[in-house]
Amino acid sequence: MEVLREKVEEEEEAEREEAAERAEWARTEKMMRPVEVRKEETTLTQEMLRDLEKKLSEIQIPISAELPAFTEDTIDISKLPVSYKTNTPKEEHLLQVADNFSRQYSHLCPDRVPLFLHPLNECEVPKFVSTTLRPTLMPYPELYNWDSCAQFVSDFLTMVPLPDPLKPPSHLYSSTTVLKYQKGNCFDFSTLLCSMLIGSGYDAYCVNGYGSLDLCHMDLTREVCPLTVKPKETIKREEKVLPKKYTIRPPRDLCSRFEQEQEVKKQQEIRAQEKQQLREEEERLMEAEKAKPDALHGLRVHSWVLVLSGKREVPENFFIDAFTGHSYSTQDERFLGIESLWNHKNYWINMQDCWNCCKDLIFDLGDPVRWEYMLLGTDKSQLSLTEEDDSGINDEDDVENLGKEDEDKSFDMPHSWVEQIEISPEAFETRCPNGKKVIQYKRAKLEKWAPYLNSNGLVSRLTTYEDLECTNILEIKEWYQNREDMLELKHINKTTDLKTDYFKPGHPQALRVHSYKSMQPEMDRVIEFYETARVDGLIKREETARTMTEYYRGRPDFLSYRHANFGPRVKKLTLSSAESNPRPIVKITERFFRNPAKPAEEDVAERVFLLAEERIQLRYHCRDDHITASKREFLRRTEVDSKGNKIIMTPDMCISFEVEPMEHTKKLLYQYEAMMHLKREEKLSRHQVWESELEVLEILKLREEEEAVHTLTISIYDTKRNEKSKEYREAMERVMHEEHLRQVETQLDYLAPFLAQLPPGEKLTRWQAVRLKDECLSDFKQRLINKANLIQARFEKETQELQKKQQWYQENQVTLTPEDEDLYLSYCSQAMFRIRILEQRLNRHKELAPLKYLALEEKLYKDPRLGELQKIFA
Amino acid sequence: MNRLCDSMEPRVMDDDMLKLAVGEQGPQEEAGQLAKQEGILFKDVLSLQLDFQNILRIDNLWQFENLRKLQLDNNIIEKIEGLENLTHLVWLDLSFNNIETIEGLDTLVNLEDLSLFNNRISKIDSLDALVKLQVLSLGNNQIDNMMNIIYLRRFKCLRTLSLSGNPISEAEDYKMFICAYLPDLVYLDFRRIDDHTKELAEAKHQYSIDELKHQENLMQVRLEDEQARQEELEKHKTAFVEHLNGSFLFDSMYAEDSEGNKLSYLPGVSELLEAYKDKFVIICVNIFEYGLKQQEKRKIELDTFSECVHEAIQENQEQGKRKIAQFEEKHLSSLSAIREESELPNVEKKILECSADISELFNELMMLEMQLVEQLEETINMFERNIVDMVGLFIENVQSLMAQCRDLENHHHEKLLEISLSTLEKIVMGDLDEDLPDDLRALFVNKDTIVNAVGASHDIHLLKIDNREGELVTRINSWCTRLVDKIHKDEIMRNRKRVKEINQYIDHMQSELDNLEYGDILD
Repeated sequence: MEVLREKVEEEEEAEREEAAERAEWARTEKMMRPVEVRKEETTLTQEMLRDLEKKLSEIQIPISAELPAFTEDTIDISKLPVSYKTNTPKEEHLLQVADNFSRQYSHLCPDRVPLFLHPLNECEVPKFVSTTLRPTLMPYPELYNWDSCAQFVSDFLTMVPLPDPLKPPSHLYSSTTVLKYQKGNCFDFSTLLCSMLIGSGYDAYCVNGYGSLDLCHMDLTREVCPLTVKPKETIKREEKVLPKKYTIRPPRDLCSRFEQEQEVKKQQEIRAQEKQQLREEEERLMEAEKAKPDALHGLRVHSWVLVLSGKREVPENFFIDAFTGHSYSTQDERFLGIESLWNHKNYWINMQDCWNCCKDLIFDLGDPVRWEYMLLGTDKSQLSLTEEDDSGINDEDDVENLGKEDEDKSFDMPHSWVEQIEISPEAFETRCPNGKKVIQYKRAKLEKWAPYLNSNGLVSRLTTYEDLECTNILEIKEWYQNREDMLELKHINKTTDLKTDYFKPGHPQALRVHSYKSMQPEMDRVIEFYETARVDGLIKREETARTMTEYYRGRPDFLSYRHANFGPRVKKLTLSSAESNPRPIVKITERFFRNPAKPAEEDVAERVFLLAEERIQLRYHCRDDHITASKREFLRRTEVDSKGNKIIMTPDMCISFEVEPMEHTKKLLYQYEAMMHLKREEKLSRHQVWESELEVLEILKLREEEEAVHTLTISIYDTKRNEKSKEYREAMERVMHEEHLRQVETQLDYLAPFLAQLPPGEKLTRWQAVRLKDECLSDFKQRLINKANLIQARFEKETQELQKKQQWYQENQVTLTPEDEDLYLSYCSQAMFRIRILEQRLNRHKELAPLKYLALEEKLYKDPRLGELQKIFA
Repeated sequence: MNRLCDSMEPRVMDDDMLKLAVGEQGPQEEAGQLAKQEGILFKDVLSLQLDFQNILRIDNLWQFENLRKLQLDNNIIEKIEGLENLTHLVWLDLSFNNIETIEGLDTLVNLEDLSLFNNRISKIDSLDALVKLQVLSLGNNQIDNMMNIIYLRRFKCLRTLSLSGNPISEAEDYKMFICAYLPDLVYLDFRRIDDHTKELAEAKHQYSIDELKHQENLMQVRLEDEQARQEELEKHKTAFVEHLNGSFLFDSMYAEDSEGNKLSYLPGVSELLEAYKDKFVIICVNIFEYGLKQQEKRKIELDTFSECVHEAIQENQEQGKRKIAQFEEKHLSSLSAIREESELPNVEKKILECSADISELFNELMMLEMQLVEQLEETINMFERNIVDMVGLFIENVQSLMAQCRDLENHHHEKLLEISLSTLEKIVMGDLDEDLPDDLRALFVNKDTIVNAVGASHDIHLLKIDNREGELVTRINSWCTRLVDKIHKDEIMRNRKRVKEINQYIDHMQSELDNLEYGDILD
């Protein structure tokens, strides 16, 4: 800075006069500025558009005369506070400083575009850009981190392109207005995002620069959707275990090494060829996808947010594009250059060359050679000492010769004129304008909805296409929220027609994943379960047309697998179609985990029931020090011997191989008992399979019902949506209200109208008291009678009417149409109802009236104002 | 015991009686027929009921090795005997007999339920082995001393006890006493003990129970200490340096050395002895520590070795299993193919293929095994070399340390001799100031006597040191040879077992195929 000022001093003399003149001009002309500006503008813009290579050498005030994003008449400025409509003296001062700065800048750097310093706000008042930033910490924990915050801003606002893509806008609205109308250009986006990021503690800056066409138009069609990118599998590096001292030597390798090498070579060649082909294919694809060259490349104005490292544990500088909410490295080639950047405290101009996009930029804002600041004395003193040494080089540089007035030194940024940013919880939840947003990615389309907007709980849908034109759908992913059936994600693969539903824990049938092609039973399907929520520990059930496979875990009987093969359905001739006709089971295979409580040769590992052949095969677990396992096969054929006796058990009915032959297993008795046991088990297993089939049917039925109803759950804390709690609350309020009314009634003074007749403030004499009481009672009595009469009158009227109607009916019965008859009947029933009610009321009144009378009498006795009465009776 | 069957002759538990009982109580219906067909072996019987048989003496039960439940109630047994072999017994009913003392139950460690109801027992005793006892029925006996209850405290699992009908049950404090002293008991005399009673009983007998508990705890602590000491000693023994971590060796040297003890009364000898002892003990401790360290090293070596061998065997087994699994898959399909094949020549061809497969599997498995044997042999030899080297080094070092001990002893001997001779001179000159004990003075008769005495003491010491050293060396050597022998033998056993297993499997496969062939031809 020192260096800069020294150099500046030489020119200062010459410039001072001019500067003073200009300041004067600025002050006097301020009132006329809008008019002036507009006039100037129209000519200048055209000029600019005509030859852009030849940069303007005049002073320019960067205001565009084009129509802003939304016209003023749509904006209701009447409700905005005063700070929006006027400038405080400090702000005025700041604007002067800025103007001065701008003039000097354009004088010193005539070939650069004018600065974006003080655009007009919605009330047509020029405001300095830094004061438009209003650092606010949002009350939503979701908005505390930059990624979710950026995502919110990109979701919440609708993008409006800049009126002139080559110039910064003439207007920069406050975040209040932007949030209200939920739309804005890139400057509005980045201003809002920057305010929120600074509020939550990030070192964030708004950037005015140049971006690629895609960036400026929020065009994501050339980007891969982040949701489709599969996370890279982390390659686990296997740790080489050091050979222990006594590790056995591997057996001698007797293969020819030469042959191996030849083989490897051949393989490599083939692989190289394949790779080549792949690469060519990829290149071809890349070519096809590449964007057409943009005629205005490098000139399109864009605004985004820069986050510097240091605060909130940000490890390195990065950009956030406020349109998409994505973060980019500062090396990204979509960001083509930076003109200036600002935060709520200061404004910096980039003095570095952007020929290589932003790749070579160094974001050391304390370095005055690279970043020219506007206000002195604010923070940012990051400049390292080493860079101060090469002041000699600065002489050659032609950009840093900027002057600075002394008065700037101690000037600090006035407070923001913008109101605190407020987002209502409803708006926060709805997020996107009208709760819906569609983003088009490369070969994918993402649609988002606010929760509860869709009655089936759909919150987002990702459609992936096969081609770039997005005509052939590859697959659809639908995310759901707040579903009562806990459905979380529905995945439809259009090529294989396979549908997969994913559930969160809590489904009544403990479903986790259900993939199927059709909802018809006995078709290909895989159902996975949350096995801890199931009593039987079922993890997965796979079905094909002829088989059913179940996987278990954590069962007390150590069952791990059951596989059933079905035969073709036998056609029944009986007419009992209502009866289910289960497919015959041909074979059941069951596998078991090792039961540590049993010795291995008695612990069955697998048993196969061949139901058709009446054969049972057992395979036992292998003992730790063996490589073969015992086997046993039972033939259950019951035969009759030559004498006609039933053969119970013969040695050839059980073929067994035992690793360690044991004595007791050779016995027929043992084998017989084992077989009996297995027969029972077979029955059970068959039953189990049938039950599983039934369960599948039940699940399918339940799923269909759930799909049809798709009710959504509402949290008990959600006071807005929870109907029940709402009703309850309203009921409570009603009760409170009634209670209040009753209280008022009890306070009703019976004596007031009668006391009013007497002179106030005097004590009642006995005679007066008695008279008062009598009057009051008689009045009340009259009222009771009147009421009774009223009810009676109504009752009579109803009865008469009914009688009349009945008479009319009797007379015209023959000619009546059925509709009339219906009318008559309904009238009769209603009338009867009314009569009954009236009767009831009358009876009730008759019952209650004496009681009420007595109650009043007693009350009057107790009334302290009629104390005279008590005295007598006392 | 006035019973109807008293009139009957006492019966002997002979084979017929047992067979009859087994037959009657064995499986019924179809299974019964089968059982009858092939007969039941006594050792397969799990439960036996021999009540109302008028048995006088328990006999001939040794064959029922696996018996779980035995009922011998309502006999006239007078003595519990002949039950030694029934170690799996869980349930034993000896009620309604004439037993007077509890005995002969020391091998029945699995017994959970014991009934001695209605006998003539007067003392609860000899039940120490029955650690799992849960139910004990001793009603209608002649137990008259409350102190018998305290004996039952050692059965931690005991939940049910019946003692009604004994003289002690007449005592007014009977129930409270039992509840207090057996707090884990749930049922007494077939009634559940309610919590209220328990609390009352506890309050009533708290003082004496606390005392009892204290004593029991003391006993327990003493027992544990003893155990810990035993374990420590055992550990030292495995390192072959037991009793070297102190002055044990030194003390033992003087234990049998009467002359040495006498000589220690000489002036100046006691200081000498003290210094000698200190030095000696330091060397002993060195040996001890060295021994422990070496033991640790040997252990690590052995562990690594067995781990590696285990891994190798596991790996080999996995390979074998995989081979077998592959084979079985193929074999099954080819078998079913054979079954379906109708042409005889084709069948024969396929059978030939199958048997070729089997022999190939055999070759593969055997090759795997041979390979493993070779690999293991190499490793075992290496281990043997290493462990022998280690032991040799250990012995060498111990020997050098022992030599230091001997040097000390020699040095001490010289000093002692010197003192003795000078004392002798003094005595001869007659200018000895101190009083010497009489038996010591007796040694100082002439030079020969005293030299002999000192020499004898020295010899004893040297002998002790030599013995200790010899013991250590022989023991470690024998340990080493035993270890190596065992490893070799284990490996041979393993090999034999595996070869046998493979052969068995192959034989089975072959015979299955043969049967199939046979069956096919029949068809």
